[in-house]
Amino acid sequence: MDRQQIALKLAVDGLELPFEINSFEDRLILQKAVYLAQAGGVNLGYYYQWYLHGPYCPALTRDEYAIDYERKQEVDGCKGWKLDDESEERLRKLRKLIPEGQRREVRRKLELLASVHFLVKRRQVHQNDTAEITMTLKRFNKDFSEEEVGNALRELVENGLLTG
Amino acid sequence: MVSSLGDGFSKLIVDSIHGDIHLKEREVQVIDTPSFQRLRQLKQLAMAQLVYPTATHTRFAHSIGALGAMIRILEAAERHGVSIEDEQKDNLRLAALLHDIGHYPYSHLMEKVDRVKLTEEEVEEDTPTAKAIDARRSKYPDHEEVGALIVTAQADLVKAIGGEERAKAVADIFTRRETADPQLSKLIHSSFDIDRWDYLLRDSYAAGVPYGQIDINYLLNNLKVSPQRMLGFKDKALAAVEHLLLARFFMHRVVYYHKTIYGMEEACRQLLRRLRDRDDKRYHVPKDGEEVRRLVQSEALYTFTDAFVEGVVREATEDEDDAVRALARAIQSRRPPKLLKEVAVCEDVEKKTHAGRIFMQNCRSKLRGLAEEFDIPLAQFLLCEPYVRVVKPPEKPTFEQVAKMEAGEIQKRAFEEEEEDIKIFVADAEEPISLMEIEHSLVVKYADYAFQLFRLYVIYEGSDKEEIIERLKARVKDWDKS
Repeated sequence: MDRQQIALKLAVDGLELPFEINSFEDRLILQKAVYLAQAGGVNLGYYYQWYLHGPYCPALTRDEYAIDYERKQEVDGCKGWKLDDESEERLRKLRKLIPEGQRREVRRKLELLASVHFLVKRRQVHQNDTAEITMTLKRFNKDFSEEEVGNALRELVENGLLTG
Repeated sequence: MVSSLGDGFSKLIVDSIHGDIHLKEREVQVIDTPSFQRLRQLKQLAMAQLVYPTATHTRFAHSIGALGAMIRILEAAERHGVSIEDEQKDNLRLAALLHDIGHYPYSHLMEKVDRVKLTEEEVEEDTPTAKAIDARRSKYPDHEEVGALIVTAQADLVKAIGGEERAKAVADIFTRRETADPQLSKLIHSSFDIDRWDYLLRDSYAAGVPYGQIDINYLLNNLKVSPQRMLGFKDKALAAVEHLLLARFFMHRVVYYHKTIYGMEEACRQLLRRLRDRDDKRYHVPKDGEEVRRLVQSEALYTFTDAFVEGVVREATEDEDDAVRALARAIQSRRPPKLLKEVAVCEDVEKKTHAGRIFMQNCRSKLRGLAEEFDIPLAQFLLCEPYVRVVKPPEKPTFEQVAKMEAGEIQKRAFEEEEEDIKIFVADAEEPISLMEIEHSLVVKYADYAFQLFRLYVIYEGSDKEEIIERLKARVKDWDKS
């Protein structure tokens, strides 16, 4: 593993998420979790674009497979490495964004949070305009209610990912 | 060679790979900007010319070639019934021309500096303490992000492209944003992308090796488009498709991972990482991603070329740090790191233990002692593991997974994750299937295989060089055995 892949694996561990990439749902969860970690100030070097399921980074998918390849060979490429203390602390705080429960629920919540954050920060959709954000998500066939969008915005602000 | 035309096209460039490339007026304006001309100062293959002396072609030539490949694909697609609006075609041509505008000096070598592990970080310490990666620091953006910044922020390019809106549309295509047509965007990024079609042919031709000589004419003649606008190849072109995929694999083995080229590039990577991490500003190596982003949106971009790295190396030959000086002098005077041992492994990716892993483990546990014994700074040993998959396989979902997916989900997944997938039209089928579903394909048989090289180099220039190198080789000879 190179340093970026090591940092990625350590960040996923720091979020206390399993490093699973077997299904599309698993990989979508990792994509959105890493997006939120970066939004929270943990710089892992992945540049996201808006795809059909919200923010997505092809380079991250490639690195996920590279890490998985070493894991299959039972190589612990992270042995002897850690993230700086401040980033560890940021990840610890971000854990509360990840719901407990079924993977499907985790996926839905992280997809909503990451998508709303992306629309506000990168698309300059005004964060007070929950209706506009909800409509934009609907254009991408995302069935999130205005109430869910409002809750997501509140949670992003409370956790320092957006300013109030 | 460039000449003027009077037939609706503005200029003609004669290219060694694609022959005549007819340029439109707007393309000529783009090429004539200082931002684009910078590509003349970026070698396509970084340090490969140190081994293959004629591999001195530039990102400029490759970018023109990518346009040439795009023109040929668009013509073939139209011949096969795809209708593309003129503006969309023009944008695709511009995207092909500009797809590499964001490359760093020495290309991937500098772009990936955040990924570089220094040797002392690789090997085990006597009293282990965890090494920290500073995730507060922003990372160098990849060349596609840099390209989008340049295309949308450099005034000369924005003007030449035709304004901000159009510049953004062009950048969206080569950065694969959702606003671009997925199938058209795929022309640039998938396994049969224009980038690969040109670089395989051009790198192969320039280096003087035959391994990248793909059958582009046969591939183009057998392109087919389905009623759902899926692009693929007729099954009679299967061998040409397999060759295209294997050509990439062989070019990695022979050129990109050549032991001398890779050793020199690894020395340069480690040098840049060491200088980047320092606090002093003497070398002007951007300290983080934010500094790169600022640089590429300013006029400083024009001097962000191979000469920038060469200047850093030249100055570093007189650095006060022994390791920095040794690395810089090896590069400056072309005294490549000496390969002490290489373990080549071609195995199923699922295979857990092999000689390469054993070798790397021994390097991590024994190299510090070896360096002390021979009184050579640890930083002058270079450990690397270049790796290439025979093909880059898409996810192979199980039947159960597919059965649970909604139809729309399957299509979306194809867009997000299967950009590498090549589609084949079997017999008279209207819609193509994935190459990975063709059981008799050679590359499918080897899709789960990876080729990896585990290497240990040393930089040593003492008067007893030959003797020391031989002794070191003898010491590590059996490090691939448990």
